[in-house]
Amino acid sequence: MTRVVVDPITRIEGHLRVEAVIEGGKITDAYSSGTMVRGIEKILKGRDPRDAWAFTERVCGVCTTVHALASVRAVEDAIDITVPKNAELVRNIMFCTQFVQDHVVHFYHLHALDWVDVVSALSADPEETSRIAKTLSNWPKTSSGYFSDLQKRLKTFVESGQLGIFANGYWGHPAYKLPKEINLIGVAHYLEALEWQKEIVKIHAIFGGKNPHPNYLVGGVPCSFNLEEVNAINTEKLNLVGRLIKDAMAFVEQVYIPDLMAIAGFYKDWAAIGGGLKNYLCYGDLPTKGYEFPDHFKFPRGAILDRDLTKVYDVNGRDENEIKEYIAHSWYKYADGDQTGLHPWKGETEFNFTGPKPPFEQLNVESKYSWLKTPRWKDNPMEVGPLARLLVGYAKDNKEIKEVVDEALTKLEVPVAALFSTLGRTAARGLETRLIVRWLKEFYDELIGNLKTGEMSTFTREKWEPETWPAECEGVGLSEAPRGALAHWIRIKDRKIENYQMVVPSTWNASPRDGKGQRSAYEESLIDTPVARENEPLEIIRTIHSFDPCLACAVHLYDPDGKTLHQVTVN
Amino acid sequence: MTKSKNKKTRVLILGIGNVLMGDEGIGVHVVKALEKAVLPDDVEVLDGGTGSFLLLEPMQKAGRVILVDATIDGAEAGSVSRLQPRFSTDYPKTLTAHDIGLKDLLDAFYLLGEPPEVTLFAVSIPPLQDMETELSSELRPVVPKVAGLVLDEVMAA
Repeated sequence: MTRVVVDPITRIEGHLRVEAVIEGGKITDAYSSGTMVRGIEKILKGRDPRDAWAFTERVCGVCTTVHALASVRAVEDAIDITVPKNAELVRNIMFCTQFVQDHVVHFYHLHALDWVDVVSALSADPEETSRIAKTLSNWPKTSSGYFSDLQKRLKTFVESGQLGIFANGYWGHPAYKLPKEINLIGVAHYLEALEWQKEIVKIHAIFGGKNPHPNYLVGGVPCSFNLEEVNAINTEKLNLVGRLIKDAMAFVEQVYIPDLMAIAGFYKDWAAIGGGLKNYLCYGDLPTKGYEFPDHFKFPRGAILDRDLTKVYDVNGRDENEIKEYIAHSWYKYADGDQTGLHPWKGETEFNFTGPKPPFEQLNVESKYSWLKTPRWKDNPMEVGPLARLLVGYAKDNKEIKEVVDEALTKLEVPVAALFSTLGRTAARGLETRLIVRWLKEFYDELIGNLKTGEMSTFTREKWEPETWPAECEGVGLSEAPRGALAHWIRIKDRKIENYQMVVPSTWNASPRDGKGQRSAYEESLIDTPVARENEPLEIIRTIHSFDPCLACAVHLYDPDGKTLHQVTVN
Repeated sequence: MTKSKNKKTRVLILGIGNVLMGDEGIGVHVVKALEKAVLPDDVEVLDGGTGSFLLLEPMQKAGRVILVDATIDGAEAGSVSRLQPRFSTDYPKTLTAHDIGLKDLLDAFYLLGEPPEVTLFAVSIPPLQDMETELSSELRPVVPKVAGLVLDEVMAA
């Protein structure tokens, strides 16, 4: 029996450590630990609720807008505000933009190199690569000259050894299965995606005033539309948004999806690995008739238990018996004892670090071992994220969701059950991007339609003044972040924040087990995964990366050792 | 977002850091101070937060970037080093909070073939910060000092 430690496992923000027990070439147990502490709740107490979004938006540099959205919704829910139609549309446009950019960046820059072998791409035949690329899609950049130039540049990067992105892979690992030419296409699109993602985020700067941390507003959006005015959001700026959306649709349809399908075709064995938990939770998002009416969300709300797609359970964020956070294995303490579960309105943030002092070999997993709390829905561990969103939609017979999922399953010649896997998770992210980029266009067209009729309102002032609020109230802002179900809970007393709790997607997925010993999503997904080389645990990284781990908001942002990429220790 | 909306940016002053983590946010505090300064039209000041890949565009557009960031390098709190790193491996290992995002970003410039010229002012901060939106009393006086160094750099650029 060996114990493999991968720390950190994330390619971006945040700090995640995974310890896996391997017996006979397979993982038999796993522990996921958020190694740094979070305390945003403490900063918010006593502040003006209308300012909370600006602080929560700062917990991460990657998904800033979704935290701002969850925050303004929580406040609006507490003081009973319904935002104007244009505000809902602009928020949806911001949301869709964030998802499309983030999912493309995840696929190419944080996950693709788990499947694409960069070094193998160096020996691909550019002629053959060009031929294959032309069969995959209509994307224009497919000439053999293009691939041959790219190969030369790539050679320089790899040989210099100075680029962390290419220096730190497990190149040549037996789990890499793509033909050389597909590897070269993958690397080409890695670079093209890097250029493309710079463009799409301009939409955030246009509607949110600035980037990387755009502006939000309780009661609406801080946008002033005036089609003729130079300093307002005018026709010229809106036309730019229209062009960016058109380019995004082309990139998703002609690059991302064809690549995803081509790569998936060579890794169908991963449709039987990494499934993990059998329960899925989605708060739903993208309202079309107001936040109060989840039945009209583009992503429906609901929960699935035991992979039973014939039944979808209702989810209520306000019901104190549904969502609770436990700390049996987390470095916190609760006033009523560490076995208690607390609904976020009653949540407590009292640190209680009992772990070993770094550097240490392994965590004491019998006791507390993570800075993440353990959220449960009706005491069940739940997976959240793109797969959960699509499964809930699929089980609810949502026409649009069913269509893209079934099309992909048919193309890959796999059954619905293939979705419950590492490959299913990665595919779900791509498939929902197809839908989201279409919805982005729909919301944009609807906004333009409204503006043309002279409907310019983006903000309701009605409850802006704290004097209009009740002395005590509480709200919940349910939302979906790219990585899954995200919610902020707020309690307001005497017009100030009395308690603020965020339960973020990576807390659901990456948390430690609960007091009953039930594993959360990351830990469960690793069970039975084959590991070919213990000192190069590419398989662990594939499955964990399929969740798009990003712990910045789940934990504190600080790393005393400034470590770069997966450090692996085998004990 | 920009001081000069229509002109090409020659120099970008970019503050990086997380303002929820006390001294770790020093880079952002410095650019907030500089936003009030009178600067040439082609100089842009940007609060980069922990923006990682989102900063690719403004950095690439500028060609010349003056970066202000916190580092946990064991030096006395408030000491400032001026570095001219080329590759991500040249940056201090302990450039923090967001270092992986920032380093990936810097690698990305080389991949895209247009690396900007970067001058980095790395401000040493004490380890282990509590969540806090204010700077410590050691770091507060460093803000005008670093802002001054950045302005000298802009004038010389």
